[in-house]
Amino acid sequence: MKLINISPIYILGLFIISVFLLFFISSISYQQIKSLDESGKLVARTKDINAELEHLYGLIEFAQSTQRGYLTTNDLAYLDPYYSVPNKIDTCIHNLRLLMADNVHQQANLNVITVLIHRKNASLEDEVSAKKNNISNAELVTQIQFGNLLMDSIRVKINDMNSLELKSLQSREKEHAHDVKLTPKSTLVLLFFSLFIFIFSFYKINKDRINLKKINNQLLITKETFEHAEQIAEISNWSWDIDKNKLSFSNNQYRLLGCQPHEFTPSVENFLEFVHPDDRAIILEGNNRVLADAQPSVSYFRIIRKDGKQRYFKSLGKLISDSYGKKIMIGINSDITDQYNKDKTLEEKVFELERSNNELSAFNHVASHDLQEPLRKIQTFISRIETSDLENLSERGKDYFKRIVSAANRMQVLIDDLLMFSRTNKANKVFEISDLNELLSSSKQELMQSIDEKSANVTSDRLPTINVIPFQIRQLFFNIIGNSLKYSKAEIIPEINITSKLVSGKDIPDANTANDKPYYKISITDNGIGFEPKYADSIFNLFNRLHEDKEYSGTGIGLTICKKIVENHKGFIRAQGFPDKGSIFDFYLPVD
Amino acid sequence: MNSDALNVLLADDDEDDRLLFKEALGELKVKTNVVLLNDGVQLMNFLNDPATLLPDIVFLDLNMPKKGGMQCLQEIRSDKKLKDLSIAIYSTSASEKDIEETFIKGANVYIKKPNDFSSLKKILTEVISMKWQYHTSGLNKEHFLLSL
Repeated sequence: MKLINISPIYILGLFIISVFLLFFISSISYQQIKSLDESGKLVARTKDINAELEHLYGLIEFAQSTQRGYLTTNDLAYLDPYYSVPNKIDTCIHNLRLLMADNVHQQANLNVITVLIHRKNASLEDEVSAKKNNISNAELVTQIQFGNLLMDSIRVKINDMNSLELKSLQSREKEHAHDVKLTPKSTLVLLFFSLFIFIFSFYKINKDRINLKKINNQLLITKETFEHAEQIAEISNWSWDIDKNKLSFSNNQYRLLGCQPHEFTPSVENFLEFVHPDDRAIILEGNNRVLADAQPSVSYFRIIRKDGKQRYFKSLGKLISDSYGKKIMIGINSDITDQYNKDKTLEEKVFELERSNNELSAFNHVASHDLQEPLRKIQTFISRIETSDLENLSERGKDYFKRIVSAANRMQVLIDDLLMFSRTNKANKVFEISDLNELLSSSKQELMQSIDEKSANVTSDRLPTINVIPFQIRQLFFNIIGNSLKYSKAEIIPEINITSKLVSGKDIPDANTANDKPYYKISITDNGIGFEPKYADSIFNLFNRLHEDKEYSGTGIGLTICKKIVENHKGFIRAQGFPDKGSIFDFYLPVD
Repeated sequence: MNSDALNVLLADDDEDDRLLFKEALGELKVKTNVVLLNDGVQLMNFLNDPATLLPDIVFLDLNMPKKGGMQCLQEIRSDKKLKDLSIAIYSTSASEKDIEETFIKGANVYIKKPNDFSSLKKILTEVISMKWQYHTSGLNKEHFLLSL
């Protein structure tokens, strides 16, 4: 599962850039609107000033025209409106002063105009007084001419002021136009840039969300699989937040206790209710052990399920730290009742086996000592009679006695073979690197009497040196060669040949070994009476004798011992019989 | 009692064996005086009696009631007065364990009771005519088990 790893710094950086851009764009827009607003205000003011100036001029003209009316008509009624004009002029100048408060230049112009207007007023007054005093027309004309000059000056000044105002308006509008021309471009750039960032962020977040959803989905599947696995495996898991003393169980934990998931509130106390009263201490000890050593700890305890059935549990607890550094104890509980029961059955079987083994070894003791003892005495007394008192017996008695001797000897052989067989089973199996040639020659030594009696010819190849239990291999040669000697044909000289060959495990007949490990194949061939091929397998079974003939008396143990010995060496033994021609015994011993 | 004769002692709980042993000795060329005892307790009492003339060879059965041959062997070897006695283990068992243990505990020779009378005579002849100095050294394990 692929996990997304979004660096928090990366997200934070994106956020800061976005916020910064938004602020930047907002402030630009604000500036622009503010500038537009100011320009508008400025235009309006210029217009106000213009109107006020024209109004001012108009007032002066009005004053002059009314005064002229009086001058020409000498009608005093013309002077009434004339006297109301100075007040209006003052209001007008006051208004202008307010409108031009921020412009030192215009203020100065206004002062000049005020002075001119006062002089004009004074000039008009003078003219009126002159009229009233009936001065000559020539003088009056001179005065009027002076007044007209003043009027012109005022006009010029007002025009100056108007043009100045207009000029400042124009420069302001030019500036504004520049701003207005530049700002849309930068705003657009910023807009696109921020749009890009927002789209990118959206894309990224969406992608993460999809990934998260995918992972969530996988997690869900994993969780379901895990729960399923828990049910099949009869295990459960729990976690215990030690600081908060908060325990949580997997669903299967409830099931293992014979409950429905979430049937009760998980807590140590509630769990202990299900634990066998004698085992509760085990749980608490286990918990303490985990807390003390911070080492995983295994506990075994019994559970009494809700339905009253007793189950055997194994629990493994472990202390971990979560990503916040909090100590949490986690664990797995496993219902091992089936395993426990199997182990118990197995234990009982082992016990049973041990007991029967002990009985067997007791039997061996009986065979070796207690049975041998009376037999030995029988044989000894037989030998006493044989040497001293046999002549005193009747012919019938002598025959019976011979049969007693034969039976006793046979019993002796049986006991010896049985002992040998049991010793092959349990004797200490110490492997030693041994020269098979030496083991063979020592077996031949033991059989010397029999070999000499039958004038047998025992030949052998050079045999390998391998890791074997020496006395058992010696026994193996002894038994097989002894067998060949025993089942030799009376009329010909027994020829016994021992050969050795390196073969692969695959070449061993019926061995069921798929391995191609090397084996030594030791073959012992004789020219004896042989046996029917159908007996090739059963010949190795205990007490299985092929020959009822008294001449070939055996116990049926010898070859069983051979098989046992070869098996002890993880090898195989095979026999081939050719009636009236001979037999071949092959045994295979692993090279290492 | 013949003073030229060899003093031989057998401790064996089996009456038949005692009988055969006595008969076999009687048929040997070597003259012997035989003492037959039934168990280990009788043996130790006999040996510890100050009036007893110590035998030249003690034949000791391992499996005996009251006190076994193994324990007698141990007691004899740890007794100052008796420790130099020649001891031949005379047992039905020929188990490796018994042979090993009696050798370690200082028996001189180990005889497995033979199963015919002539063998018994043969083995007794051999034991009696043995050069005991070799066997008292206790080092010769190879010849410890006497076989015919």
